[in-house]
Order: sequence, then structure tokens, then C-alpha cells
Amino acid sequence: MAEADTLSPPQAPAATAITCPSCGGTVAIRAAGHSVTVACEYCASILDVSEPAVKLVVEHHRRRAALDIPLGTRGTLKGVEWEVVGWMARSEGGAYPWEEYLLFNPYEGYRWLIYNRGGWSFGEQLTVVPGGGWGGLELDGAHYKHFFAEGTAQVDRVVGEFYWRVKQGDTVRTDDWVRPGYMLSREADDREISWSRSEWIDAKTVEAAFGIRTESGPWPPLPHQPSPHVAWLKQALVIAGIAALAIIAAAMFAGGSRTLAEQTLTIARDGNDQSATLGPITLRRPYQPVSVRAEVPSLSNGWVDLEYTLVDRATQRAFNTYKAAERYSGRDSDGDWSEGSRRTTADFASVPAGTYDLVVDYKGNNWLGAQSIGDWRNAAFAPEMRITVTSGGAPFGVALLALILIGVPVLFGAIRHAAFEQARMGESDFAPTSSEDDD
Amino acid sequence: MLTVSCPNCGAPVTFRSASLPNRVCDQCRSMLVRSDDGVGIAGVQAALPFDVSPIRMGTRGRFDGRAFEVIGRVRWRWTDGSWNEWLCLFGDGSHGWLGEAMGQFMMTHERALDTIDPAWRLKLTRDARVGDTVMLDGEEMTIADSREVLCIAAEGELPFTAPPGWRIHSTDLRSGSGRLANVQRDGSEVHFYDGRYVTLAELKPTNLRAIEGWKAPVYG
Repeated sequence: MAEADTLSPPQAPAATAITCPSCGGTVAIRAAGHSVTVACEYCASILDVSEPAVKLVVEHHRRRAALDIPLGTRGTLKGVEWEVVGWMARSEGGAYPWEEYLLFNPYEGYRWLIYNRGGWSFGEQLTVVPGGGWGGLELDGAHYKHFFAEGTAQVDRVVGEFYWRVKQGDTVRTDDWVRPGYMLSREADDREISWSRSEWIDAKTVEAAFGIRTESGPWPPLPHQPSPHVAWLKQALVIAGIAALAIIAAAMFAGGSRTLAEQTLTIARDGNDQSATLGPITLRRPYQPVSVRAEVPSLSNGWVDLEYTLVDRATQRAFNTYKAAERYSGRDSDGDWSEGSRRTTADFASVPAGTYDLVVDYKGNNWLGAQSIGDWRNAAFAPEMRITVTSGGAPFGVALLALILIGVPVLFGAIRHAAFEQARMGESDFAPTSSEDDD
Repeated sequence: MLTVSCPNCGAPVTFRSASLPNRVCDQCRSMLVRSDDGVGIAGVQAALPFDVSPIRMGTRGRFDGRAFEVIGRVRWRWTDGSWNEWLCLFGDGSHGWLGEAMGQFMMTHERALDTIDPAWRLKLTRDARVGDTVMLDGEEMTIADSREVLCIAAEGELPFTAPPGWRIHSTDLRSGSGRLANVQRDGSEVHFYDGRYVTLAELKPTNLRAIEGWKAPVYG
């Protein structure tokens, strides 16, 4: 017999219908066997359907409630299809209203879809009581912080069918505990205490599941709404950390730059234009910084103009930069003074790979009238200039700038996260800092 | 296993366990009672009202590693609704009850009343008040409900006749861990059941009832 049933399972009907004794409307019963109370979707009368003969409990003649998600609408959440069978408008004594849709699937039982200030949660009745002590609760190894204490929740309006006797004005005492993404709620009346856990769900998920449009999300955030900045911030911290380490490592190791060419040039004393070519200079990496350092040990009260041109032997593509090395010193009422430097470094930030020649056009000048040991006017003295071409890590300043640039978005994200958490916690009865309006 | 013809309508009826002497004929809904003298008729069972339960006669599953098959059901009503108690026959011939209420499931097994601390026994059977706590095997249980319940209808094989209109007193206990217990009292006769909440997924049931327009889950 069982085998025969498996081959062609007889399909039981999913719904039945009753006639509202108040308005005569045909009302679908979608959770037959479970439903106890039906609030007529046409006239809002409360009906007792716990026995075959439908009884009128409270008669209403209201206009049909326009629900955002009409009764009978189906949607898939968490991989399970749910049907809206009931709806309640609830509030704290008329203030802070919210809505609860009762969802049903005959194989999965009941769930709640809760709509509060533009945010959504998916709730489930618990069959266990969370453990724990003051200030917090434990459930399935997760810790929940007390958020709302000793609230009251009343039923303002109902539509559809429910598995308990529900009516307008029903009031329960409520307490809520949260952790990011989840809320534990305790509802107690004189007879029983019930526990439920609700999970925050993205409005887009609900919109996609039930084909609705909702307004923009809540602000301040819902008590259990996870900060949208956390995921980003965690990723950013990891990426920034890796990048920072890489930059520091590059500055430390690759920064010990490689010398590509070195040459000592003689500076003509007559101040004529001179030119020298260093090369070949082979650059292997796709792009690299190239530094050219000129050092004139005998420079005193004079300067050397420098023009560097890096020329790719293959393409004749040229990179240009200018520099000057100048150094002055003297003596005045404050004593000895000096300014400038006997060395100067020119940087090509990013040079593509290739074989290059460095053309150095230079011109030495001296401060006429100055007297020193290495005076260029001394015919016996031949001033020299040492040119060193190096490649490697970015200069320290560039590394520091990179670190700051990496840090800025992380800091920005952290500030936004802190603002979100402060706004979220500000709603709590256990907010760490109380606002001025003590009530 | 005993298969006989229904003394009322002649349809074949099977009694699978000597500990389940009662059976409702699938054909004519006669309440049959098996005894040493044969199979007699003890009345007529009422028709079950329509519900959308996913369980049916022949649903199979596993509870704590033991295979069972659903072979009977009693539908009960209290002041605020109705629920199903599905009779599950296990491979070793023992039986348990798969309760189905408000979309939740619970599996309980009958347990001898004298296994409970005598100090609490009287409380459970005579003086149960909602909200009171009772220690059961060292676990604190709260009395969640204590009231009269009414048998609406039954089907399949059963350990008792379950006539429609039968009224008994039922006391429900819950713990924080999902454990639950139930005391059923009919005059001087008291039965005690102990168990816990279960999910359909954990029972991995097969041969569930097909419900129009809904996709039955497949539990691997």
C-alpha cells in the first residue's frame, strides 16, 4: 500500500475556504488544522475557526486593509517557499508601530516576516529557552546583549489566519537581546512565555522574494542590523595591511637600490656647455624608478646645471629632467653659514624596460670672488662630478605617501562604522551613554 | 502481524503489534478491538477534519537512529485549537508519539510513572498549576499547560480506542533545553510521556503527504 502511494501520491488540497458570517465573503484557510483565528480580509471581523462551525468572535465593518504583501502571496526566503497567511500591525501602546507577516509552509511550519521602519527581519519561534545571566544571553554558542527591556507590544490590527486566539488589543511584555544580524525576543503574558529569534534580512532580498518595493532602510539602524561597513572594513584592513607590508618590504629590500652606471665627469672651468653619455643602462622590470645622483665634492659658492635625458636605444624615446647642484657658504655677524648641497638627485618615477643611454648635459658655474681651497679659478684644479645611476625602490617619501593613501579609506570606513554603531546603540535601553532627554 | 477481514465491512485490516490492540478500519471507520477471542467492533470513529499536515499513514523516518513508520493518529482539541498525535511504530515493536502542533513537531515515548521521583508524581497527577516547576531526572521542567482535552477523531492502529468525544486531562511540561513531557489523566488512569521537540529535517521522513501546490522537501 505504501509503495503504491509512493508511485502516485494522492495530492491533498492545500487550502479550504469558509464564508465570513459577518460580511459573507469567501475567506481562504491556508493552514487548515492549525488555524484557530481568522480575521476576515474584507471586513476585519474576528472569526473562530477551531471547530467546523465558524463562530463570529468580534464583528467589524472596516475597509479592506491594503497590505504591502497581500495574503496568499508566496516568496522564497532561505531556500524555502513561504506563503503569507496572516498580518498584524503592532505597536508599543500606539507608538513605534511595526508589522508582522505570518508565513506558512505545510512542511516547514510558521515563520515571521517583520517590517520595522523600513527594515526587515525573518523570525522563528524557539523550542528552547536561551541561557545566560545578567546583561546577556547565550544561544547556540552565540552571545546576545540586552537591548530593550520591559517593553509592551500590543496588537493594533489583524488580517488573515493565526494558530492562536489573536485579537486587537492583546498585549504582551517584551524584552529583546541582540547580536549583529540577530535578535532574541521574549514575549510574556500572564499565561506563557515565548521566545523567538529573528534574523535581519536585506530589503532587496525581501523585495526580490515577494515582488514588492520598500522605502529606504531605517535610520537609526534596527537593533540587530549588522553594520554594512564591517565586511568592507575587514577586507580593507586585510588589503591595507598586506599593501603596507609590501611597501615597507619594498622600501627596505628593493629600496637598497641597484647601481646601473657610474661615471666621473670633469667640469670645465670656463663655464662652457658640456655633454657626456653613460650607458648602456639596462632596465629589466616592466617599469621602474630611476635615480641619477650628481655629486660635486669640490663645489663651493658655485653651481652646476644638469640636464638628464634617458634615451631608449631601440625606440629613441626620451625622458628628460633638469637639476642643479648648488652650494654657498660664507661668514656674517651670526658666524659661518652655508646653504645648498654638493649633491643632487633627479628621479625618473617610472621608466619602461629597455636599454638606455643617459645623456648628461651640464655646465659648471662659480661664484666669482669667492675664495676657497678648491677654487675653480685655480688653473691647477680640475673639478670633478660623480654621476651615479640607480634603480630600485621608491624613495622613502613615496612609500610614506603610499602608506597614508592606503590608510585614509580604512580610517574613513572605521569612522562610518563607529557612527553606525553609535546610532544603533543609541536606541537601546542599555545605551552606554545616555542622552540629555532622560525619561 | 495479524490480517483479518473487518467484521463490519469485510475489508482486510492488519494488526501489526500485540501492544496495539485497536484499529480503525480504513474502509468503514469501524473501531476494531483485537482480543484472544478475535476481532470485535467497539464503535464507529469520526471522520478526520481536513488539515494540511505533511505526515500521513505510512510516513517513515528515523528518530535517534531508530527507524519508524507512522501507523496511527489521534486528533485532539483543546479550547484554543487542535493538534495531531501520530503513532510511530519502531523496528523493535515499541511505539512513540509524533506530536504536531502549531507547525512544530515533538517526539514522546510513554514512560512508567513510577520512574518519576514520588515527590513530584503527586504534583503532576493531582496538583498541576501552570507556571509551577517540577524536577524530572534532575532537569527543571515548567508546567506550561494543564487542562481538559477532547478527542475529535482517530485513524489507523492505536494502543487505545480513542472514541470521538473522549475527554481527558492533559498537563504539558517544558524545559529550556527543548525537552517536553506530558501527563494524561482519565479518571484514575494516568499515562506519562517524555520526549523533546524535533524537526522534520532531523527525522529525515520519506513518504510524506503530497500537498497541492507545495514542493515536498527531500531529506538526504
